[in-house]
Parts: sequence; structure tokens; C-alpha cells
Amino acid sequence: VFAEQSAPVFDRTPEQRALREVVRALLADRAPVSRAREPAEHGRRHDPELWAVLAADIGVPGLLVPEHLGGSGAGLTELAAVVEEAGRVLLGGPLFPTAGLAVPALLASGDDEACADLLPGIAGGTTTATLAVPTTWRADDVAVTADDGTLTGTCPLVLDGADADLVLVAARGTAGVRLYAVDGAAAGLRREPLATLDLTRTMAHLALDRVPARAIGAGWDAVLAARDVAAVLMAAEQVGGMDAAVAATAEHARTRRQFGRPVGAFQGVKHRLADMAVRLELARSATEWAAWQRPGAPEFRVGALVARIHASEAYLQTAMDMVQLHGGTGFTWEHDAHLHVRRARADHALLGTPAALRAELAPLIAGVAA
Amino acid sequence: MSTTELIITPDLDEAGIAAAVDAWLLAHLPDDWRAAAEAGDRAAVGTLLADEARTTDWFTTLGESGLATPSWPVEHGGFGLPASGAGVVVERLQRYRAERPERDFVGLALAGATILEWGTDEQKQRYLPPLRRGQELWCQLFSEPGAGSDLAGLATRAVPRDDGTWLVTGQKVWSSYAHLADVGLLMARTDPTAPKHRGITYFLLDMRSPGVTARPLRQMTGDAEFNEVFLDDVVVPDTARLGPVGQGWAVAISTLMAERNGLSGRPAVGPGESDRLVAAAVASGAWDDPLLRDRLVAAFVAERVLQTATVHSFARAGSGAPTAEGSIRKLSLAALTETLGELGTEIGADPAAALAWPADGPIPPATHAFLASKTYSIAGGTSEIQRNIIAERLLGLPKEPDPEAALPFSERGRT
Repeated sequence: VFAEQSAPVFDRTPEQRALREVVRALLADRAPVSRAREPAEHGRRHDPELWAVLAADIGVPGLLVPEHLGGSGAGLTELAAVVEEAGRVLLGGPLFPTAGLAVPALLASGDDEACADLLPGIAGGTTTATLAVPTTWRADDVAVTADDGTLTGTCPLVLDGADADLVLVAARGTAGVRLYAVDGAAAGLRREPLATLDLTRTMAHLALDRVPARAIGAGWDAVLAARDVAAVLMAAEQVGGMDAAVAATAEHARTRRQFGRPVGAFQGVKHRLADMAVRLELARSATEWAAWQRPGAPEFRVGALVARIHASEAYLQTAMDMVQLHGGTGFTWEHDAHLHVRRARADHALLGTPAALRAELAPLIAGVAA
Repeated sequence: MSTTELIITPDLDEAGIAAAVDAWLLAHLPDDWRAAAEAGDRAAVGTLLADEARTTDWFTTLGESGLATPSWPVEHGGFGLPASGAGVVVERLQRYRAERPERDFVGLALAGATILEWGTDEQKQRYLPPLRRGQELWCQLFSEPGAGSDLAGLATRAVPRDDGTWLVTGQKVWSSYAHLADVGLLMARTDPTAPKHRGITYFLLDMRSPGVTARPLRQMTGDAEFNEVFLDDVVVPDTARLGPVGQGWAVAISTLMAERNGLSGRPAVGPGESDRLVAAAVASGAWDDPLLRDRLVAAFVAERVLQTATVHSFARAGSGAPTAEGSIRKLSLAALTETLGELGTEIGADPAAALAWPADGPIPPATHAFLASKTYSIAGGTSEIQRNIIAERLLGLPKEPDPEAALPFSERGRT
């Protein structure tokens, strides 16, 4: 959107810039936004050939994974850049659930054995994974119980839940809530694909009836730590979506003519677009700042929540404005604008709503107990 | 006072710059000043900063060191630091309340940047050293009663005289500290037959010149910090002209860019005004109101986000020239300031205290801040103008129509 300043500031090294460029070119070629609605319209989870390039060749799910576990040990900044590019074309499929949810959850678990068993397959691109936790991300809302090495209960909304090879399920055992690894093909696991508001991502309802499961690492705190990492990544994805929405809307305002002028000549249009650009720039800055912090540090959680709260509200408003400024065309099924509206609204709730995250932020900034 | 040598070069990293500044401050900042700042003793710091003899001494020391002007080139007493490094210097100084006061903003940030870009060697020698040492106060003489958002429509005339000087006549307005200032950044029309943007010339006006009258204007806060300035047959030497005749608008763009970029604060992410309001709300019990709490957290988020944008912008800009992107932060700052101003009046133990107070007492700070909160949505270009700039320069939307833009200035108003 910003011609002379499009290179984000923390994308400093040539390697980081090259990674972004490679992914952007690949997605523009193989997953243009015109294909983004395939998951819902054709029941197509994703493009397996694209995933093979992203996962096995480029090593996207291994970006956060240490080298001795088959990853590249790069940082959050690198993965955020990739996810932002995915957000730009509204890419669904296993990318976010695997790289953005499952990998951070395994890493945060501190369970070396589970990481050694599970991460190499993920990093190598042979295993896709996801995380099954309540959309509220509240331990009290976990509706799966662990008993004698098996899980029973339901998880109402899981990204890529019908197809992921590995599902990390939050369940309540005698020692409280923690994660359990479940094979996607395990006996007793029923996975029901859902109709989704967001046409670009598949989601499923999981019902578990004495499904064999392996307990992983630490408790709920580790899940929340992974949530913070996922929050930064989803904010990056939202920035990508917003960037595409602002660019498309600005292009429309420059070219669509009414009353003998481009509609972008009218301040009612111009100022709304300016506000869209402001929200985008702020979201990008907050997200890059958050990605730049060290996970686990106290400022990381604050930075992650700040970025996520702003990006969620900004993307939803931007998507709605995109429809508004495209007029009747923007309200049609054919136009891409509603894909942004749908994803922005779904994202708004996934990983915690802005209001819930503000409530979580409140005690952190007040220096008082929750 | 010891003479700890201060060596700061552009290749030093941010931690290195911070360490160098801290070491220098340890050696040079008076002990009582340091102690008051470290203790967070607002009253003691306030007393110190109000003592003109002490601040004069300090600003001289600071100016000689180069720390008052870290981004200036070495030959003009700075360190040639990029914006990010200069931000570190300011941030370290602010920790000890040792930075130059806000009223020097026009001088240090605006006059400094504009003179460095457009000044002759003689002008740099004349104006930069006193600016650096805090010996001269600057004001801006841009807006006029008939030229607000349409700044290029200014009518103040500068007429060349046979002896090479200029005779300036007109009226300026909204000039902060003009009644105290030594030098003013002046735009005046030198060619009324040219289209409005092209007939302007930029001058550095000696505010003590005969014919200059500054009359304080009372603002909605009750303060009288800004002025209307009358220029009646003021003789201005040609050596005070900054940039070529007729190029004043281009010179002013340098000033305006520096202004937008300078307003949104230091490039750091950390405790700000919202943190102060949160602490006050916790102390007063207002924090227990869930609706107020949510609004405070939302303001905290907005402030942190703006801080990251400032950091982002400084890092991206390096030592490059400021861009229209500063308008994004200026616009956000304006909205945030209004939000914070409003919240500030709601979080007291007794919110009614913001509405009425003892007849012999001063206006409560929160009430004053609320009234002042409209400042940034108007000063330095209104939010509407900033939106035009963002839409036109960053998004490539059509420019606002201006039927007078191509007309000779003298024929304006006839369309």
C-alpha cells in the first residue's frame, strides 16, 4: 500500500526479505485471492502441492523449530512475515493451525520428549497439526476430560480439525488442564466438518470417546504462552488481509468514476480510506514490535495482546469499510470484500475477543492482582 | 564538574548511545537535579525547572555537549545521528528531565531542520549555535486570519526595497510564544502576480524589529501562550531570507514535515499518559468500574500502538527526510489526546472535582488537560488536512480541487 515504505522495518536482513519475497511470489502464483473461497465452495481443504512447497521446500512450519528438531530455528519475525503474506491472499489450510498454533504449543510445553517425537515430522512437512482449545481460551470452558490415557468430550470449533494429522487437545485430568496429543486417525475421534462464516478456512467439531492420547508437558499456563505467540501471528495475518483490503479499495477509489470524477476525489471516501490506512500502519507497527520481543518476557504478553486487540478491531472495521467503499459491487457474493469481512469477524473471536483480551490486559497494566 | 568525554558516532548502537549519554549525565547533571528526577519528586523538579538561572546554565552545558541537537551534523555541534539514535538521546535526557522544554520545539525541531536544509553557511553560523545552547526562543509566523488550512493563501506582503532590504506588512496568528520569542519563522508573499504557492518567500524574522507587535490570545484553556502578531512596515534584511525568493513554500514544507514528525513523541514503547491515568484510577477506585476500566485499557492499547508506530517510523526513516507518513501518527495522536483528556476528568475519587473547584484555587490539571485535548487535532494542520495528505500522498487519491491554485494570487476570490 505504501509504495516507498512497504518493507517493514524489522525485516532487516537480506534473508528475511528474501523469504518474504519468495512466499509472496509463490502465493500470488498458486494461491491468488480468487482461489481463497475454495475451502467452502468446493470442500477443498487446501492445495497439497502448494503445501508441499511451503512446508517441505521453504520450511515454513519449521521456522520456529530448533535446528536439532529438524527446523531452521529462525524467529517469530520470519514466521510473522510469511503469515502476513498468507493473510494477504486469505490463505486457509494447514499453515496457520500447524505453524501458528501447534508448533508454539509444543515449544511452550517444555516437554522435550514430545517435542523430539512430534516436531521433526511437522518441521519436515509430513505432519499437519492443530490445536483444540475452547475459542474463549479459558481453562474453565474445556469440555474434554482425560482419564487413564484416553480423552472423552467435545471440542466445538477446531481449525483444520477434520483433516489435521495431529490434534493437540486441551483436556482436564486429575492434575488440571493440559494438552494431549491425539492422532487424527485415532479410534473414537469423530470429526465433523462445519459450515463456516469464514469461507477461507475449514473448521470442524470434534467429539472424543475414549480416544487414546499422550499427555504433553506443562499445564494451562503453557497453553496461554503459546496463545501469545499465536496472537502475534494472527495479528500479522490480519495485517496482510488489511493491506490487501486497503490496496484494493484505494485502487477502486482511484478508478471508479461518478459525477465525472474518481470517487476517491470525494472527502467522504477519501477520509474513510485515510482512516483505513492509519489503522493498517498502526497494526503493522504494533505487530512487528510484538514479533520483535522475546517470547516469554513480560513485555511479550503485553505487546502480543496490544497488537492483537488493535489488529482484530482494525481488520473488522477495514473489511466493513472495504464493502462500503465498493458500494453495491462490494455487497455481492462474487466480490472478494465479503471474504475479508467473514475472516475478520471470525478472527475477531478466535484466540479471544478484543474485549476479553482487554480484560486480561487490565490486571497486567494496573499492577494489581486479577 | 568532571570533563567526561562524550564520544557518540552514528555507528554506535542504541545501547552504546544510551550508555554514553548516561555516563555524561552522571558527570554533568547537578546532583540535586539528578536526585529529584530519580526520586520522581515532581515538586522538586518543577522548582528546578522554574529557576531560570539554573536552566540557562544547564542548557548551555547541554548545548555545548551536542546532546541538545543529536541529529545535527558534527560541524554544527551535533552527532549526525539518525532519527533512531537521536531518539535514544532524547529518551535518556527525559529520564532526568534534562531535555529542552516543549517551547523550544519550534526552534530545535522546526527551525533547526529547516535552516540545516536551506540555510547559507552564514545563516547556519548565525542561528544554529544559539539555538543549540537555548539562547534564543523561536516562534512560527505561518497562519493568518485568512490563511488557516489553506496556508498558501497567506496575504502578508514582503516588498523589496532599493537598499536590498524587505518591507514586511501583515498579520499572523496562532503563534505560540511569539510574545517571548527572539526569532520567528516567517512566510510572506513577495510576488502577488504568481500563483499562490509560487509567490512566497521564507524569512527568519528578528522579533525585536521595530513594527513587530505580539498580542497574546486567550485560548479555550484559559492560558495565553499563543499570539496574534502584527507586522507593520517591518524592515527585514535580505540576509534573513531563507532559501530563494519565491521558493518559500518549498522551504515551509520542510518545516511542516518536521512538525508532523516531531509531534508524536519520542520513539520508545513504554509507560505513557495512559499508564498515569490507570494508576490514578486504581488509586481513586475508579478502576473498579468495569466500563471505565475497559475504556482505560483501550486507551492504553491505543497509546502503545502509537508508540510502536513512532519507533517503526524512526527506524524506517533512518537519517532520511521525513515523509507524509508522519501524518498518520499526527492524526492518531490527535484522537488519542482527546480520549485521554476525556478519561482524565472521569477517574478522580470525586469526578465532580473536575467540574468545580475552590474559587481561589487553580484549575485542576485534569480539567486543563481535557480543555487542551483539542490542540493536536487543529495545531500543525487539522485532522481533516492530515487525512487529505494521507489519502493523496500515500494512497494516490486525487488532490483536493483548488480553483485558485493556478491563478495569480492577486486575482484570487474572483472565481
